[in-house]
Amino acid sequence: MSLPQAALEFEAVALELGGRAILQDIGFTVARGEFVSLIGASGCGKTTLLRLLAGLIAPSGGKIRLDGRPVTTPSRQVALVFQDYGRALLPWRTATGNVSLALEAMGVPPAERPQRIAALLAKTGLAGHADKYPSQLSGGMQQRLQIARSLAQDPAVLLMDEPFGALDAMTRQALQDEVLRIVAERGATVLFVTHDLDEALYLGDRVIVLDANPGRIARMLEIPLPRPRNQLTTRENSEFLRLRRELFTAMQEMLA
Amino acid sequence: MRAWRGGIVPVVLLALAEIGFRLRAGPSDSLAPPSRAIAALLSILGDGSLLFGSAQTLGSLLAGLALGSLAGLGAGIVLASSELLRRLSFLSIEMLRPIPSVALLPLSLLIFGFGYGMEIAVIAFATFWPSLILSHSAVGQIEPRLMEVARLLRLSRWQTAAKIILPAAAPRLMTALRLAAGLALVVAVTAEIVSNPQGLGHDLMIAQETLRPERMFAVLFWVGLIGWGKNAALLRLERWLFAHRGDVDTSIAA
Amino acid sequence: MTLHRLPTSVLGVLGLLALVLLWHLVTAAGLVSKAFLPSPAATVDALVWGFRKGDLIGQLAATTLRMLNGWLLASIGAIALGSLIGISPTARVYLRPTLAFARSLPASAVIPIAISLVGLGGSMVLGVIVFGSVWPTLLATVQGFANVEPRLKDVAQVLRLSRLAYVGKIGLPNAVPDILAGMRLSLTIALILAVIGEMLSGQAGLGSAILLAARAFRAPDLYAGLVLLGLVGFLSSYGLVCAERRATRWRQAATR
Repeated sequence: MSLPQAALEFEAVALELGGRAILQDIGFTVARGEFVSLIGASGCGKTTLLRLLAGLIAPSGGKIRLDGRPVTTPSRQVALVFQDYGRALLPWRTATGNVSLALEAMGVPPAERPQRIAALLAKTGLAGHADKYPSQLSGGMQQRLQIARSLAQDPAVLLMDEPFGALDAMTRQALQDEVLRIVAERGATVLFVTHDLDEALYLGDRVIVLDANPGRIARMLEIPLPRPRNQLTTRENSEFLRLRRELFTAMQEMLA
Repeated sequence: MRAWRGGIVPVVLLALAEIGFRLRAGPSDSLAPPSRAIAALLSILGDGSLLFGSAQTLGSLLAGLALGSLAGLGAGIVLASSELLRRLSFLSIEMLRPIPSVALLPLSLLIFGFGYGMEIAVIAFATFWPSLILSHSAVGQIEPRLMEVARLLRLSRWQTAAKIILPAAAPRLMTALRLAAGLALVVAVTAEIVSNPQGLGHDLMIAQETLRPERMFAVLFWVGLIGWGKNAALLRLERWLFAHRGDVDTSIAA
Repeated sequence: MTLHRLPTSVLGVLGLLALVLLWHLVTAAGLVSKAFLPSPAATVDALVWGFRKGDLIGQLAATTLRMLNGWLLASIGAIALGSLIGISPTARVYLRPTLAFARSLPASAVIPIAISLVGLGGSMVLGVIVFGSVWPTLLATVQGFANVEPRLKDVAQVLRLSRLAYVGKIGLPNAVPDILAGMRLSLTIALILAVIGEMLSGQAGLGSAILLAARAFRAPDLYAGLVLLGLVGFLSSYGLVCAERRATRWRQAATR
């Protein structure tokens, strides 16, 4: 089943807070179904960018458009996955209950919910853990649960804020592939924030590098690597290594 | 074996008291050995007078606690929802709160006369303030990330209150209730000692006035037992309700 | 509304004034009997008259001094005893349940025993105040010693600090925040017990003054006493909070 797809547009977006310029002159477009990785040093405003797109904050200048329409408040079309998954899940509800929250918010009739929840949990590899509380799940599973909840919204756009930053390397790799698989199935548009260079290259169709103080776009790189990606072969691909070198140098220059 | 270590000290103290008393010459109007106190305890338990007094005290306690904590809860939620209201009212709260509830007993007596009314009124006043402050902080300390999730999912005000705010604040509200209940017992017994001729506090004073120290100690122990038992029961309830959540700090065993 | 812009202190005073205004309106409209709720004006009159004629000052002083004396005695004893118990983990384990039980006993409940032992005089009141206010500070001191960073205990051993030196240089300073919090609670209890003591024994003070005013149906005098008691509680608590802030500056700086 293919979901409604959307195009994103940032036009000369700026954000000022308390007299300081956080983001400046942000302009780029994202095509339907594109996977864009956002990378940059700490404090470059990448999280803020996501929050602007999610409608949690309003820009001081410029326009943000989703499918041609301006973004003013949170929309069901856009789902946001936080890095601190522990704090974004309801500790008093089971995995089922947490996914159900999104469905309840959408007004899905109670009769339809169990089936949809079960499908989402299966999709994110949580089939046997439906009745567990977040405190009984590992970090990786909690993050999957958050992803499952975001998917329950049937979002056209998936925003992910360093979702795997707090997880160990092996779990991270497993989840990277899982996200790619899910996104490919649904054809969703993804904006993925990370500080991990390799992750940005592995996942994205395009990498946008942000410079800090104030946050602005430094580079945009196309990633013409073949899909589906593979943890072993893609990372050994000569093009991957070339892009990696380019990206690494670009980031070093920024820090200098 | 470890659990018994805490119990050694009271047992030793009681034994010493018993021996000390036996060694004294003659009976006393003001003190009694533990053996006589235990006997007195059993006797007043048996003839129902202790239970009757307990019922009176607990009756006032429950009514006053319900009034005070519900009002405090409501006010706390209202304050937590409006920054302006909070800033307007904080000084008034800080000025009214320190008035010792016991100082209100004469006034309460004036208005309601002897009986349940005056005691309930004072207990309600006393429990209102901690309930207000604790419920205000309970609602104010809700994980902000969860409130953002509510915004992202576009939950309505009622949905947010019912699905996020109340469950998130519930453990702290429960703790607030437990602390208020402890306070309510103290205020109830105090009211009965100072002015209200009913309940366990009154039993204590009567025992003292009629020079029956063993009875006095028996009632005193009973009061302590009620207080401890109530706290332990509520703690159990808290743990049972919220332990699975992993977001609760059950270490506040005040 | 521009109310938002005003500083909090101003808003607080405004709120208080609004409350007094409400009080005045309620009594002016005769909604509550004057015997139960005198007007603010009548209360102020009673206050002024009480001070001019001299009684009120003496009563205020008596209650305050009683509270402070009992509280100071209790605090010194509690800190000393608490330190003794605190430095010994064994003592802590053996004594904790007994202390917890004693703490949960309503302090007023020991008054009958005190009366039968010492009679209805000033020493009974002082004794009850001391006995009742000792517990929060005692328990807080023990707690303050119990949560000394284990690493610091190792340091003390390496430096071969004597018991006394440990208490003075490590134990007590570490326990100061807890002790001050306990002392604040003890002060509240001391005030309450002072008032109860006065009511039961007839000793001069605000407590007995309020009782007498109630018996004579002199509501304005009653309320004047309440206002003063509230002030005593407020100011003493405020003073302690300031002392607490001063003494725990190192902790606040650390959490910044």
